[in-house]
Amino acid sequence: MSKRSWYYFAVMLAMAAVMVFAAGAPALQLAEAQDGISGELSVMGFSLPDEVATVRVDRFRELYPDVELNITEGGLDQQQFLTAVASGNAPDIVYMSRELLSTYAVRGALMPLEDCIESQGIDMSQYRQAAVDQVTIDGQIYGIPEFFNVILVIANTAALEEAGLTVDDIDISDWESIAELNEALTRIEDGQVTRIGFDPKLPEFLPLWAAANGVQLISEDGRTPNLNDPKVVEALEFAAGLHEAAGGRQDFMAFRDTWDFFGSNNQFVQDQLGVFPMEQWYVNVLSDVSPDAPVDFLPFTDREGNPISYVTGNAWAIPVGSSNPEAACAFAKTMTEADAWIAAAEERARLRAEAGTTNTGIYSANVLADEVIFGEIIQPSGNEKLDKAIEVAVAAMDGGFGIPANPAGSEFRQAWQDAVNRVLNGEQTAQEALDQAQAEAQAAFDEAWMFQE
Amino acid sequence: MTRLSRRERRVTLQQRERLAALAFISPWIIGFLVFTAGPMVASLVLSFTNYDVINPPKWVGLANYQRLIDDPRIELSLYNSFFYAALHVPLMMIVAMALALILNQVGRAAGFFRTVFYLPSVTPAVAVGTLWLWLLNPRVGLINRALALIGIDGPGWTTDPAWIKPGIVLMSLWSVGNTVILYLAALKNVPIELHEAAKIDGANPLQRFRHVTVPMISGTIFFTLIVNIISSLQVFTEVYTMFFGNMRSGTASSAGLFYNIYLFRQAFEFFRMGYASAMAWLLFIIIMILTFIQLRVSKRWVYYEGA
Amino acid sequence: MAVIEHSGRSPQERLADMIGASGSGIRQIIPRLLFIVLLIGCSLMFLAPFAWLVSASLKVRSEVFGPEWIPDPIAWENYVKVWEAAPVLSWLRNSLLVGVLAALSVTISSALIAFGFSYFRFKGRDALFNLVLATMMLPGVVTMIPVFLIWDQLGLVNTLWPLWAGNLFGSAFYIFMIRQFYLGLPRELFEAARVDGASYFGLWRHVALPLTRNALIVVFVFEFKASWTDLVKPLIYLYNSDLFTLPRGLKALLDQFGQGGELQWEIILAASVIVTLPMIVIFFLGQRYFMEGIATSGLKG
Repeated sequence: MSKRSWYYFAVMLAMAAVMVFAAGAPALQLAEAQDGISGELSVMGFSLPDEVATVRVDRFRELYPDVELNITEGGLDQQQFLTAVASGNAPDIVYMSRELLSTYAVRGALMPLEDCIESQGIDMSQYRQAAVDQVTIDGQIYGIPEFFNVILVIANTAALEEAGLTVDDIDISDWESIAELNEALTRIEDGQVTRIGFDPKLPEFLPLWAAANGVQLISEDGRTPNLNDPKVVEALEFAAGLHEAAGGRQDFMAFRDTWDFFGSNNQFVQDQLGVFPMEQWYVNVLSDVSPDAPVDFLPFTDREGNPISYVTGNAWAIPVGSSNPEAACAFAKTMTEADAWIAAAEERARLRAEAGTTNTGIYSANVLADEVIFGEIIQPSGNEKLDKAIEVAVAAMDGGFGIPANPAGSEFRQAWQDAVNRVLNGEQTAQEALDQAQAEAQAAFDEAWMFQE
Repeated sequence: MTRLSRRERRVTLQQRERLAALAFISPWIIGFLVFTAGPMVASLVLSFTNYDVINPPKWVGLANYQRLIDDPRIELSLYNSFFYAALHVPLMMIVAMALALILNQVGRAAGFFRTVFYLPSVTPAVAVGTLWLWLLNPRVGLINRALALIGIDGPGWTTDPAWIKPGIVLMSLWSVGNTVILYLAALKNVPIELHEAAKIDGANPLQRFRHVTVPMISGTIFFTLIVNIISSLQVFTEVYTMFFGNMRSGTASSAGLFYNIYLFRQAFEFFRMGYASAMAWLLFIIIMILTFIQLRVSKRWVYYEGA
Repeated sequence: MAVIEHSGRSPQERLADMIGASGSGIRQIIPRLLFIVLLIGCSLMFLAPFAWLVSASLKVRSEVFGPEWIPDPIAWENYVKVWEAAPVLSWLRNSLLVGVLAALSVTISSALIAFGFSYFRFKGRDALFNLVLATMMLPGVVTMIPVFLIWDQLGLVNTLWPLWAGNLFGSAFYIFMIRQFYLGLPRELFEAARVDGASYFGLWRHVALPLTRNALIVVFVFEFKASWTDLVKPLIYLYNSDLFTLPRGLKALLDQFGQGGELQWEIILAASVIVTLPMIVIFFLGQRYFMEGIATSGLKG
């Protein structure tokens, strides 16, 4: 063939190849109109990191063999989701943090689940109220809750010993004593911090500190931010002040970044941290990678001494453009029902027994599951400390509260997190920063609630 | 067929040529109308609406532009972008020129080094951002470790707001290779006779540089100046990879909030496509003004041979 | 590269030739050698990040930030983990496909369009060309959202089409560059072909094209690089992880395993190497064209 023809041939070939590839890409989802639940179900925002996920998913596959699951693994990428919805390619079911869910619900991107709950016979009372509240907007439920992450305090007993203290000396309700503890446990060598005394986990845990001081960051109806409440300001000032002992925020953060957080050389093993509040799933990590680390656990309390916990978790929601809402509903129900959690817990117990590590439980947001899991499946493991951790975490669940459903999740978070950062950088005082955040948040809320009207 | 007069034939030839030319150019014209002009108009219209992608756009008149004025993060992000550009462009050009001058002195050996310098430019921006996030880490990153070797206590590149932008500039200098090659080629284009003549007249190297080299390569310098300013105001990928994405919040949320990043967040995380469009137009106008100024000023100092 | 004549040149003279010294005496060689040393120093600085990247990617997690340059033990499994965690092969395939299509289409279309602007003389030609140039000033973000909506209307979001099909309409930068080359071709060649009865398309195809082959290769290589390294388009248009290109995939891994996820940095770094390597290989193969391309693009600026 002449050279010219080769040109065209190559181009044609390329185009053909592209069309073949491109055609295969977006999966056509046709929910077949059969009696049973069937068809394809595309899932976005979920991953399968461990047996807790895979056991429940496998169970769903067994119960609904006619449904073809298509899980796009990976945490929810907001921009991805938005693009998908915008182009009419919304996934059939989406998994996202409860905090974010109301943002989409308010804008009409998610289906209210009344019909789904009725048709599938989902008993909402099995879920913890705090979790359900987070996914209820104006009386409508938009999500089925999954996971109930509570916070407890983890302490490095080796560091405590060095300072001549024990766990019982830690009094979270007394903020002054926390500051003293921080001073005592912080270690500086050659002008560089080598152990952080007390890490208040700013900016993420501002809601926790505010609650410890008796206030929430938003009003209960989710319409009015409460960021510059004097008690919030006080809480921020206190928590931010804890960074000073380590030589200021930058040194603190740079050091913290280098921890092998999820690994066997984590900050407790390496004696790089004294005490910090943390979500309970971290106890799982510790029991996995460093069961012999010198740690002890205690509840996080407010200034009155009551155990409190700022709760986070996810939920299953059905986007408005879902092409298989029936299967989606069945999926949400099946993944979060007590039997699913129990099966997962049993598998976890089995695996842990085999590996010789401790089973620290599953915090599912399902009360019925909790009873069985913590009543029967979890047995005293012989590792006193970890058993104690489980006790503390379980008790914390009852005192759990979540950020109320609000329509401007991302922006609200940006407003207060940026405020905290500005304070930590010394750019503004706590009052100034929170005043600014309050104004931004209020504007964002007002705008967002407009969509509901 | 009647015989056309020469004049008529010329006219027809002209017309035919015109049509043919348009035929060749037509892909661009279509592309321009569909992907440039049309969207420009559309984005202008969008900038007068509130559009969250999920629901249809809602007309709000000048509200987005009013917001541009009221929003403190606009000022912040513009400041960040300009600060970065002001640091990056001159440094980039100076370093590139210095390297090019040295390369010009070593003859054939330049080939190898040229390649080395250009290598970082072919690295995908995401990888660059990821890599430099760790190179710049104040405690374990290479940069501070190298500084420590000569006794300097390196700053908090990724944690100290005052050093975040300089850190990003440092990262950008790694990709200076592109400009080096350009300058090197321009330098080689300076006729050696001019240098010889100047030498005969007794000019020292510095004088030769000022009076022979610079004017001869001024066109290239100007080109890189404009291109670099425009692109430095649109930095996105590296910084986004390093400091944003996935609802992460760190020190950089203020100091590293570049204009395009804020625009992206407004569009895709806060559901404000209309506002993002207004932001885009603001940037466009700024760039146009800057380029216009530069074109004007350039008439004074840029020398075009045979222009 | 020209061959150094070996006949009758001492090693010193040959060294002087190589480093561009004007003579082979000590006086001429020393400064040049100093420059070379300087350049070697700079090169090490430029290459150090790469070295660190490879080194760190082969370390076990707790060692990743350790000061040693040679990993001990060498954790090849990091790369295996990346392979298992993500459809890297698909990403590679997508990047290649999109890169080739983007480069091919922009080269052909820009060559056609540039011809329209160079061979022909018609009223308004220069004005129209200035418009073409002006579009280079347009920030991508201005048109980003409406263009997205266009592709959306066509039902092509979450496919690979939007990543390259826009190139079918040419690109101002390349049009400009190719036009420069066409303008340098002697008009007589075209006239001769006209006399032989060539059509306008024939003029382009048989006269212009072959004579500017090098420029076209340069355009191809350039656009390939630009497409390969682009993040914004895949970020906006793709959400099935099988469709990702390498940069988009890396970002996804970063979100999953990096700061947003489990802090498994060794995986991220290994993935970074995987993402960067193909481009470096391609670069070495096409080096000559890269260098030429950049050089010519700036000169006539």
